[in-house]
Amino acid sequence: MKVTLNIRRFNPEKDEKPYRKDYEIDVPETFRILDCLDKVKWDIDGELAYRRSCSHGICGSDAMMINGKNMLACQVLVKDFKKKYITIDPIPSLPVIKDLIVNMDSFFKKYEVVKPYLISKEQPPVKERLQSQADRELIDEAVNCILCGACSASCPSLWSNENYLGPAAMLKAYRFIFDSRDDAADERLDIVDTTDGLWRCHTIFNCVEVCPKEINLTWHISQMKKKCAMREL
Amino acid sequence: MSTNSFKFAGGRNSGAKNWYMQRITGILLVVVLIGHYILMHATPESGHTYKAVMDRLHQPAWKVIDMAFVTLGLWHGLNGLWNVIRDYEMKPIMTTVLYTVLVLIALVFWFIGLNTILSF
Ligand code: SF4
Ligand code: FES
Repeated sequence: MKVTLNIRRFNPEKDEKPYRKDYEIDVPETFRILDCLDKVKWDIDGELAYRRSCSHGICGSDAMMINGKNMLACQVLVKDFKKKYITIDPIPSLPVIKDLIVNMDSFFKKYEVVKPYLISKEQPPVKERLQSQADRELIDEAVNCILCGACSASCPSLWSNENYLGPAAMLKAYRFIFDSRDDAADERLDIVDTTDGLWRCHTIFNCVEVCPKEINLTWHISQMKKKCAMREL
Repeated sequence: MSTNSFKFAGGRNSGAKNWYMQRITGILLVVVLIGHYILMHATPESGHTYKAVMDRLHQPAWKVIDMAFVTLGLWHGLNGLWNVIRDYEMKPIMTTVLYTVLVLIALVFWFIGLNTILSF
């Protein structure tokens, strides 16, 4: 099957500004977009740069904008696309380092702001920290995040204001706020209950549409909004 | 955008309080607005002549309602505008300037409004 990849290229050492280039390849229809990129890199242009590691939707390193939508290149097949002319861009709103590789520093700084680790005031148990099934269900979806950045990079609120924490960081806040084993819910609610936190979310749902793990981010953000609102009463 | 200059400004005030205030003023405004429409547009018998309006404006209860209308409208509208402005990233000085402008607009119109209502 003939496929054309239209890739946004930029090498800061050589190029003054980004440009687009077409790559025609012949691949089986069961190839993933990541395989197509590999083929381009290995057979046509070794300079093409992109991140990838696991190739199986686990590491979250190959989020990119394919045909205008953020997704994991390792999670979509060529046959998923009707037109075989496929555009590939780096995920938007983050500074491009080279080609499809973006600088994720601000993404991870925001992640650190919400204290993405267990804070327990209790003495550590000898074995594991137990949790009831019902309690675990509350965070079932939230723990699936692989920090690919597709959601935050698709959010118009974040495009217009870089100080907004963004959906990924807030999902992580949810993941601990609603974890029965964690004791720092209030501390974290104070962090997200700010104008550059929860309340910058205008329920646009772009994040939900792009998340490769099918996490309903907006629902999780709304649960925290509710909690903050109840706290004020 | 795309500068990686993220600074977290949070922790100063609760966004939930602001959220409540915007809703509460909004609901009150709807109530007052419906009252206003019924009185001024749907019921000619309540009197729309200059004299009838003047008579109403002389009663303290009406003064209170009208002052509340001015205050709520200004707060709700300008706070909404402030929230929209804050959706955009700008230099701190620009934020301060715009905030000051909004506060000035609020004060000037509040003064004019109250002055008009209380002069009857
Ligand atoms: S919530 Fe989904 S889109 Fe966002 S970082 Fe996690 S896995 Fe990626
Ligand atoms: S390469 Fe690991 S998620 Fe795609």
